[in-house]
Amino acid sequence: MFPAPIARAPRSARIAYQVLLPIALIIWLLPLIGIALTAVKPGADLTAGNYFGLPSRFAGFENFAAVFQNSPIGRYIINSFWVTIPTVIGAVGLSCLTGFALATYKFRFNLFIFFLFVAGNFVPFQILMVPVRQLTLATGLYDTTLALVLFHSAFQVGFCTLFMRNFIKALPFALIESARVEGVTEWAIFRHIVLPLMRPAIAALSVLIFTFVWNDYFWATVLVQGAQSLPVTAGLYSLNGQWIAQWHLVSAGSIVAALPPVAMFFLMQKHFIAGLTLGATKE
Amino acid sequence: MAEVALRGVTKSFGKVDVIKGIDLTINDGEFCVFVGPSGCGKSTLLRMIAGLEDISGGSLSIGGRDMTSVPSANRGVAMVFQSYALYPHMTVKQNISFGLRMAKAPQAEIDRRVKKAADMLQLEPYLERKPGQLSGGQRQRVAIGRAIVREPDVFLFDEPLSNLDAALRVQTRIEIAKLHADLKSTMIYVTHDQVEAMTMADKIVVLNAGNIEQVGSPLDLYNKPDNLFVAGFIGSPRMNFVKGEAAKPYNAPTAGIRPEHIRLSKESGTWRGVVGVAEHLGSDTFLHVNVEGIGSVTVRASGDFPVTHGDTVYLTPDEGRIHRFDEGGRAIR
Repeated sequence: MFPAPIARAPRSARIAYQVLLPIALIIWLLPLIGIALTAVKPGADLTAGNYFGLPSRFAGFENFAAVFQNSPIGRYIINSFWVTIPTVIGAVGLSCLTGFALATYKFRFNLFIFFLFVAGNFVPFQILMVPVRQLTLATGLYDTTLALVLFHSAFQVGFCTLFMRNFIKALPFALIESARVEGVTEWAIFRHIVLPLMRPAIAALSVLIFTFVWNDYFWATVLVQGAQSLPVTAGLYSLNGQWIAQWHLVSAGSIVAALPPVAMFFLMQKHFIAGLTLGATKE
Repeated sequence: MAEVALRGVTKSFGKVDVIKGIDLTINDGEFCVFVGPSGCGKSTLLRMIAGLEDISGGSLSIGGRDMTSVPSANRGVAMVFQSYALYPHMTVKQNISFGLRMAKAPQAEIDRRVKKAADMLQLEPYLERKPGQLSGGQRQRVAIGRAIVREPDVFLFDEPLSNLDAALRVQTRIEIAKLHADLKSTMIYVTHDQVEAMTMADKIVVLNAGNIEQVGSPLDLYNKPDNLFVAGFIGSPRMNFVKGEAAKPYNAPTAGIRPEHIRLSKESGTWRGVVGVAEHLGSDTFLHVNVEGIGSVTVRASGDFPVTHGDTVYLTPDEGRIHRFDEGGRAIR
């Protein structure tokens, strides 16, 4: 078995492992710990120069209350949902269809089309900033959540198709053939055989896309301005006063903003069922 | 009526011809077995009949209707796959009834047919289980149940027993033969195992490299093989071939004699040889005898024939059972 389990390694290696692992973990978590500490500091600590130390007193409640009072963060969170949920449904739904078509049917240019989807991932999206902003202005979508939904869906579909096509390709093809011989239509095969077997892939991809889109800052600032459609990532910035940065409030807001993707992960957890296809075919 | 007729059927993958012009008629109610070494095209031919592979040339008709370019969904055939291809997220009952449910059959009719199939295959205790909770043999029976529940005109089996262990294989073989006797449908069965072919078939089609070598009943193929390939393929252990000088007395470039048609003696006979390996099976003993000028000759002896490695024995082929072949490998009759 490779790699060998750490329990069977020499004693010195085990001790080094046990010492280094927590250190690495803490370094990894430092930014998060920093945000969490800042979020419960009173504003006075920051003006007094206490950036990295412990809070002088626990000010969590007033900071979180201030976040909700001083900014329309509730509105921003709702906007984020209005952007993220349609994008997840659109991108994952479309890629189920494209993935099924590309994995199941033999036709000319199949691979070429697949490579087009994959190639889209290699385009650095920042170079699209100006043309996409012009496009949304020209179509009257500028400063609407729909603009973000359309752009994110279009951009995520490439990666989703890659993911779904490969997942469906790995399903036993005999299942589809067997259903065909049984006289089942192609749509029913997709709906009743392929789709249920894709559940783990759909769950994994949904969490991934949800997190990507929720955490997007770039397009949220490029395509949207007004509070009526600003997502929470960009909206947090409004917590800073006109003249002074209120990092304790921004930190508290960040924690609030990060909760939905975490919740999403735990909600979808039970759908990551390994070995759903076990027993389909004998290997 | 579901006669399956192939006329000049060919299949090419790019420049490679895998099926080279097959003419074959499988009569209604017949149990036909395609047999041949791996890569001979037997599975491809079956998949072409099922509609899972396009037919490159020629025509196919089932029950008198041209099916050459009809999608497999509309051919009225049922197929059992080597891998079983059970839907893993459905229970046994849902698996068996899936095709009927998709065809919007009335619920009462679905229940009746599922019950009948489950009775026939002793699947009742497992109807609510998922395929993952079944053994190999049970999965195979579900796959067969899924085929019979549609009451098709033609059944196609693609090496259905190759994933089962030896004992279960014999048992399932008998069950399929029984099923054929009950349903009287046309069945086409692909295997590389000539014992399956011999025991189940009404008609055996021996395929080699995309061509039909011979078509006939099991005993026809055993008694009157058309050529060297069929002679060597049908029968276990395989036929001994004698070439050159040793074949002279039989007036043929190649003479063939089956292991069971050689008399064995410790005193005298036509050929003298030394026992290389003796395989004692209890019921029979197979001797691999090294005969000078011929090579290794396999002989079937009674189970208690007392020989071991290194013994000298005499072999006498049964004159009436010698098969003669010309230079091209075709039988001389």
